[in-house]
Amino acid sequence: MTTNPQTATYNPDPQLEVPVIQMANITKSFPGVVANDDVSLAVRPGVIHAIVGENGAGKSTLMGILYGRYQPDEGRIRIGGNDVRIDSPARAIALGIGMVTQHTTMAPALSVLENTILGAEPSIAGIVDSRAAAARVTELARSLGIEIEPGRAAGKLSLAALQKAEIVKALYRGATILILDEPTATLAPLEADALFALLHRLAESGTTIIFITHKLREVMAHASRVTVLRGGRSVGERSITETDPDELLALMIGRRAASPSALTALGAAEKREESTGSMGQWVNGSMAEQGEPVPAYLAGSRPISDAAMPTLEVRGVSVAGTRGAAAIRQISLSVMPGEVLGIAGVDGSGQRELAEAIVGLRPLQSGSILLDGEEIGSLSVGRRLRRGVTFIPEDRQREGLILDFAVAENLLLGRQRRREFGGGSVLDLPRIEAEGEELVRASRVKAPGAMAAARGLSGGNQQKVVNARALRGSPRLLVAMQPTRGLDVDAARFVYEQFRFAQDAGLAILLFSLDLDEVFAISNRIGAMFNGDLMGVVPRAQASMEGIGQMMVGGSPARPPACPPTPNPGGDRPPIPNPGGENSGAGI
Amino acid sequence: MTARMRSLAQPAIALALAFGVAAVLIAATCGEPFPRSMNAAGESFAALFRGAFGDTNGLLRTLAKSTPLLLSGLAVTVALRAGLFNIGAEGQLLVGGLASAWAGYALNGLPTVIHLPVAIAAGASAGALWAFVPGILKAWRGTHEVIVTIMMNYIAIHLTHYLVNGPLRDPTTRQTATPLVLPSARIWSLPGSTNFSAGLFLALAAAVAVAFLLRRTALGFEIRAVGLGPDAARASGIPVGRTLVTAMCLSGALAGVAGAVEVLAVHHRFLDQFSPGYGFDSIAVALLGGLDATGVTLASLLFGGLKSGANEMYTQTQTPVQIVGVVQAMVILAIGVRYVRKRRAG
Repeated sequence: MTTNPQTATYNPDPQLEVPVIQMANITKSFPGVVANDDVSLAVRPGVIHAIVGENGAGKSTLMGILYGRYQPDEGRIRIGGNDVRIDSPARAIALGIGMVTQHTTMAPALSVLENTILGAEPSIAGIVDSRAAAARVTELARSLGIEIEPGRAAGKLSLAALQKAEIVKALYRGATILILDEPTATLAPLEADALFALLHRLAESGTTIIFITHKLREVMAHASRVTVLRGGRSVGERSITETDPDELLALMIGRRAASPSALTALGAAEKREESTGSMGQWVNGSMAEQGEPVPAYLAGSRPISDAAMPTLEVRGVSVAGTRGAAAIRQISLSVMPGEVLGIAGVDGSGQRELAEAIVGLRPLQSGSILLDGEEIGSLSVGRRLRRGVTFIPEDRQREGLILDFAVAENLLLGRQRRREFGGGSVLDLPRIEAEGEELVRASRVKAPGAMAAARGLSGGNQQKVVNARALRGSPRLLVAMQPTRGLDVDAARFVYEQFRFAQDAGLAILLFSLDLDEVFAISNRIGAMFNGDLMGVVPRAQASMEGIGQMMVGGSPARPPACPPTPNPGGDRPPIPNPGGENSGAGI
Repeated sequence: MTARMRSLAQPAIALALAFGVAAVLIAATCGEPFPRSMNAAGESFAALFRGAFGDTNGLLRTLAKSTPLLLSGLAVTVALRAGLFNIGAEGQLLVGGLASAWAGYALNGLPTVIHLPVAIAAGASAGALWAFVPGILKAWRGTHEVIVTIMMNYIAIHLTHYLVNGPLRDPTTRQTATPLVLPSARIWSLPGSTNFSAGLFLALAAAVAVAFLLRRTALGFEIRAVGLGPDAARASGIPVGRTLVTAMCLSGALAGVAGAVEVLAVHHRFLDQFSPGYGFDSIAVALLGGLDATGVTLASLLFGGLKSGANEMYTQTQTPVQIVGVVQAMVILAIGVRYVRKRRAG
């Protein structure tokens, strides 16, 4: 094992070092999804190497393969220059690889010491020599400057202390390569700083460190190299000194790449133009006059003006995170009738908390939420739904659907006490089934019928069911999280059309999406969240990918000169507030 | 189609396993060499079946034993459909029985059309109240209902034991029991030793009501939604906590009615420790019946038959009645394991 002291954390010399880890052309499929597609990774000894990517990019799968948890379908792994087959975590540990996952592997009832030596106990004639073990563990921890309490039960430790104990455990087993899966996901900022200080010390003493994250700030501050994954492929490897957060973000989300979603967006725009005549939803005139593909309804067919009351108004809302600390701080925004406000942001920036606060799943710490001018901030989810607030949750299988319910029953969820379905006592089953069949057809859900269980549907069709429920009736406000996740191009385009249709009936949509292309394709105004703050909201016409990207990594909303507010003729749309706009009746 | 086949295959496998293990036990302990020992098992089961369903008296006895099992089996079913494991049917049945006994002897001068429903309602209310405690703790603090219902069982057992030995004791009898309920509060029952009563019809009506509740009503929809997908139910605006409490109270009410029927139709008074564990057997009944009213009805008949045929089996073949307990336990194991696995997976 090469532990050349010259390879200090911040000064790796790529030319001099043989990579300690080489993963070449790794491909790994799970039923229905290719998690890793021809991924290669080379990590040099004694460095801190970050692996970044959005959820589902394949980061955890790749590390799972390195740790022997999964077997790659194709590809080779070399550790320290030797070809190896890592068929189990035990083999990985024997090769000097340790992994600290997001979920602890420690038995809560056992002490830290017992957990650390479990499976590798120093023993004399079969009896555990606990004194020797304690001495070794304490010595190891002290040499690294880690404070642990060996006698404490693991279940009584804080998450930060547990993580340190996990690191000690991995090192005790002889790890010279340490993998950390989103190590700061559960840590407070100060704890995260302490963790990285420790990782730097370990790297200086020769340990190779790989950490998975989607926080670019951490990558820039602490890694010396970074590999970016997107959609199961590795899309770039950079030295930190040669890159910046913008470039990494671009790689992560594939900005401007000819991604399926970009095509979708363009397709949706075209589709809108085509349908102006036939569907009778949009007036043709102004588009032709201006020579721009601006949907004409914005130019006067909509009862929206500066004076109109916003459908949704969020004023200074703060919400506690799952672990008590504020997850979102003092957020204010408003959505006009018929408007789409798209919120971009790296996953985990507070989008979920904001969405849940608006629909009523999370109590407010402070602030107020108004729907059509009336305070709804303390109403239950059900009451808000009755007033027309619908929700497309992020996790469709857990929160969106009841998988063992029939499709028609899933479409009924939340409305089972409405008058049209029986008024709260006996359900009008024939009607529920008939309307279910109708919605299944209208929403193009591929299902054997409305009485088929939701479990049997493909992911995309499950998403369609969730969307159909959220658009059912005449909602006032739709809070949509990732409404096209898992949908193919055509299906996503259809969702956008459905949104347009509802918008024209006055629906206000607050869209949360990790897909910048999607946000730009269908939003009238665009905002970005970072670390619990709404960094700003910009009209679509003045928004640029660069500007929003800046905000997503914590930059100021002020537009740099690099992105002048020139309208993008490809699919640009003006801001919705439309002074003097009159209702010509076409949109409703 | 396949789902229906599976829903029938599961109890069939459980029963085959249960009787198989019982057969092995009988064969191993009857003292005969191997081939003849299997005959002994066969003879025992034949006697068991004859005792339960062989003649009119046996059949009536089976139906009488099935009645409290059906009612409390429905109780467990309603709770479990909402995702709550109500282990407390026994306690709810005891307090329900005592409350209906008190209403039956203490309220004087009422006509039957009023007195009997009042006495039954008293039992239902007491059972509901007993189940409300674990229900509200679950909804409010997330306290696990299994723990609380088990503890509530002990409280019920000892509370009724105290009351029936103290304030509510009938001083004129040497039994530890309440005074006899007035004739106006008694459920019609067949004279003789079969204990068959009109309570069976009440139980069957309850089965129909539970089926209707779960399949056809908004509340039943909410109960099933909360049981199968609590997160989705919450996100779509169903008041999860309130639904849990309601389901638990309904469950307790059904168990309370089971106790009321035993008191008002069979014993005509609250006898200390009158329940031979109906509330516990009902868990097996509910699971064997696949948490479906029809299935639970059939399962309660089977378990009632096991209880009523056990004596006949003992007198004819000297096979101890405890073998019936083995069958029940094996059913719980065979179905319970599958249930737990399903829960984990989902």
